[in-house]
Amino acid sequence: MARSTNPIDDAALDWIVRVGDPAFDDWDGFTAWLEADPRHATCYQMLEADAAEMANLVPASAPAMPIAERRMPILRRRWIGGALAASIAAVIGFGALRSGADPYVVETLPGVTRTIALADGSSIVLNGDTRLTLDHRDQRVAALDRGEAYFVVHHNAARPFRVAVSGHELVDVGTAFNVAREGQTVRVGVAEGAVVFGSGDEAVRLKAGGALQVEGDVIRLSAIEPDSVGGWREGSLDYDGAPLRQVAADLSRATGLKLVAAPAVAERTFRGTIALDGLRDNPTRLAPLFNASVRRGGSGWEIAPLP
Amino acid sequence: MTRSGLEATFLTSRETLLRFLIAHGAGDAAEDVLQELWIRVSTAPPSGPIASPLSYLFRAANNLMVDRHRSLRQAALREQAWSDAFGATMPGRSDAPFGERTLIAREELLLAQAALAAVPLRAAAIFRRHRIDGIGQKQISAEMGLSLSTIESDLRIAYGALMEARRRIDEG
Repeated sequence: MARSTNPIDDAALDWIVRVGDPAFDDWDGFTAWLEADPRHATCYQMLEADAAEMANLVPASAPAMPIAERRMPILRRRWIGGALAASIAAVIGFGALRSGADPYVVETLPGVTRTIALADGSSIVLNGDTRLTLDHRDQRVAALDRGEAYFVVHHNAARPFRVAVSGHELVDVGTAFNVAREGQTVRVGVAEGAVVFGSGDEAVRLKAGGALQVEGDVIRLSAIEPDSVGGWREGSLDYDGAPLRQVAADLSRATGLKLVAAPAVAERTFRGTIALDGLRDNPTRLAPLFNASVRRGGSGWEIAPLP
Repeated sequence: MTRSGLEATFLTSRETLLRFLIAHGAGDAAEDVLQELWIRVSTAPPSGPIASPLSYLFRAANNLMVDRHRSLRQAALREQAWSDAFGATMPGRSDAPFGERTLIAREELLLAQAALAAVPLRAAAIFRRHRIDGIGQKQISAEMGLSLSTIESDLRIAYGALMEARRRIDEG
């Protein structure tokens, strides 16, 4: 870990530890140090403020939790406020420190997929309408800003692969898994290996065939066919009771077709498999699958109730 | 400690506390901050006996100055977000569209997490016990069977990583 060679920083580290002790009483000494240089106060206040805001980012060890079967009780998670404090830190210990990140963005248009090969043999397949942030200096980290991606992660226990998504973090050692995000809703499915979602007492460990969905502060666990995870890569979407609004969003992302579900049908659940091939040219063939009408609406297409 | 007991200490130590606030950078606002300190302390009285009323007042003053720093920092960020959402191009302000501003917050998150990932597990546990659970060094030392100096050394490591996180965010 980098040791500071700055004497102000070193002194601030000493003071913050000492002052943090409830039994501390050398306030005159602390006053004298603060008075010696205006930078002392700034340094101390910044560190104390950061400690308050980022305390939850300091890693905690977590027990592994078994996968819940379908229809298990919903797990509730308390959200911690604040942009930084809202996230959860990684679980597994990390390797060497990277001095400064060099982020870059990869983005796809709706209907266009793209594969990124990483130097260690890992690969990431981006679905349409997807935005991913990577780091030139750290090949084992990614942030899913929007959309959906399928990760095939090369095994390296010393350097787990981390995916940040909507304030959560997934940690993976060597696995194939799918992550999708719309706003604050996150869906994860694991095809192979294992992934840890979140940290602390509420970390969830998903194995092959495990899936979870996070919406607000509610996590739902379910089982999923491992072969169907990331099915969009093979041009097929498989559902077992997802609302039509989600199906419409998935279809839009994967095909570039602008499809929305009208409010009257948005919460209807859909079970079945949709083949993506040719769908963009012929969206009306979805109508019998949804038992609804599929017609032009707005700037695209709309799933609406039958007349 | 009764309110009047704390008040007596406050009155006798007024100048010392004022000097402390000025040392913290309160400047011309020091008298106002001292007033605010008294309001805070007298409207939320301690639940039990205080070993050292002066120390209690100093700690409250210290917290107040840190909170002021945070408010100023938050205000600066809100101003930035406002200008991003509604402002026209201005010199010295980011032209990045709002989507990219939230992306930058996420990048900051990654940077912070990368720096904090380096904290060894024991130091991290001690830090969390201290900052999140609010337990003092002496009790942690007893709980973990480690010397006080080991606890303090581990805390310095954790705080040092926080400094590194801040450095990366500011440079990133």
